Amino acid sequence: MKRTYLPVLLLGLAGAAYAQQPAATVIAIPPLTSPDSGDKGNQMLAVGWDVTQAIEADLRQTAEVMPLKPSRDDYYSYPEVTAPTFSKWRSAGAKALVTGFVQGRSDGRLTVGCYVYDVDKGRELARKGFIIGASDWRRAAHKCSGLAYTAITGAPGIFDTRIAYVAESGVGEARMRRIAVMDSDGYNHRYITAGDALVLTPRLAPKGSQVAYVSFAGGQPSVRVADLNSGQERPLVPAGAISFAPRYSPDGSKILFSMMLGANSDIYVVPATGGAPQRLTTSPGVDTDPSFSPDGTKIIFESDRGGTQQLYVMNADGTAQRRISFGGGWYASPDWSPDGEWIAFTRRGQDGRRIGVIKPDGTGEKLLTSGPGDEGPSWAASSREILFQRTGAAGRSGLYRVTLDGGEPRQLATPQDGSDPDWSGVMD
Amino acid sequence: MRMTAILLALLLGASAAQAQLPGLRKRGPAQPQQPVLEGIDALRADFAAQAGGTMVYYGAESVILGAPARAALALQAAWLRKHPEVVVRVEGYGDSLDTRDHALAVGARRAEEARSYLVLLGVPAAQVSTTSWGKERPGLGRAVTVLVR
Repeated sequence: MKRTYLPVLLLGLAGAAYAQQPAATVIAIPPLTSPDSGDKGNQMLAVGWDVTQAIEADLRQTAEVMPLKPSRDDYYSYPEVTAPTFSKWRSAGAKALVTGFVQGRSDGRLTVGCYVYDVDKGRELARKGFIIGASDWRRAAHKCSGLAYTAITGAPGIFDTRIAYVAESGVGEARMRRIAVMDSDGYNHRYITAGDALVLTPRLAPKGSQVAYVSFAGGQPSVRVADLNSGQERPLVPAGAISFAPRYSPDGSKILFSMMLGANSDIYVVPATGGAPQRLTTSPGVDTDPSFSPDGTKIIFESDRGGTQQLYVMNADGTAQRRISFGGGWYASPDWSPDGEWIAFTRRGQDGRRIGVIKPDGTGEKLLTSGPGDEGPSWAASSREILFQRTGAAGRSGLYRVTLDGGEPRQLATPQDGSDPDWSGVMD
Repeated sequence: MRMTAILLALLLGASAAQAQLPGLRKRGPAQPQQPVLEGIDALRADFAAQAGGTMVYYGAESVILGAPARAALALQAAWLRKHPEVVVRVEGYGDSLDTRDHALAVGARRAEEARSYLVLLGVPAAQVSTTSWGKERPGLGRAVTVLVR
């Protein structure tokens, strides 16, 4: 997808105004209006209604925000976008309101404006405008949803993000696995690999423009990098070694991965554009699944150097390696949350594989899922949810999301069975 | 010699499956027939027979070669030394309960341990490569298979 997003009208952004609410914040979504008139006005109102419904669908996914069902009877006139009738929404039970407008441009593109209000206080919380291609209205909706979500919760919105995973179809020898990428609402689903080779563990660049993954195409598992815009792909390091477990740095400039040297698996870092890998660990045994802290100064990884798989933290240059997991059982596949507060992991124990979180200093450990076939956690951009893979008793796997507060994981709809999910940061 | 029997049965099973056409099944059970092996297939069968199998087994979560595994590799090495023209790949498998990337590394380590032992017993290093299937191929669990190319 082309980068069709130009933020304009960037006026006041009223910051994170609400403290976190214990219950979901009810939000009204009066349909987006248009300053245009005539046929064009009708066209823009139709797009505005599509955007309105997409915003509702976005916000309904969240635990923190509860949208009122939008009604086409609630259209505002264009001037009312900046002066909503707060008393009406107060009596409807809404605490917040998001609305806006869609305006056609002479070049065929659209200007979409979004406004978020505190209904109780009757004041604006945030506004943002975008110029988009006419077919990209769904992304404008995701941006509006994110604006509202951030204004209410203080956390980044997860709507304008991508999810990569391994799509699995067929049975037995005919089982086919392909890298798939979709928007986080399930739209724009596409396959990145053809299915002729076994593939594993896609990892998206922070803004979702590239995906690194493991392919068995060359006879040995090795990391490849695909550009989602150009479709070009290349090996991460020259052929001849087993490489796996790729993960981008938060700024997208580097890729961490594991490589076998003889019987030893160690962690390396390489520029995302290619170049010579730098070795970061040297211990005998399996060091793998590295993940950067959001400021890029530290790396969490797993190692079985002490006999069982445990979590270790080290500096980004490989110094000061220190074990942080001591809860019993085996700890694997750590992922550092975007806000830096938590590390998600897979714990193997008597009760199977479960997803949990632990603070970077090794305190505060809690398990979020009941297992027994869960693995591969990946954080949402909000740092409030974790996407993971759950394998059922019949061996079929699917993608699930669970909130940091726990609760029952919800399955994410995918066209086929899914494994190895990865959730990108917010796109540009 | 049970392992040999299993492996030959697998080879035969594969051939039979390839030869079976839709509809044949309805006319009654297929006649068992002994395929004539040629080229690489003949070499594979000979290797499996002479070496007493193509697999070595590791304990759960272990990458250490036990005595039975070393004995099996010694037979494989003897055959490989007699067939220097044959190139082999040792394919390691992880454990199904493991996490994906650790299983990949464990499979690679198991393959490398077996390869190192073959080389120690005089098989030229260039004759043996390694790879790992991690936990991606079900059934074999903790076995390392040596395939002839």
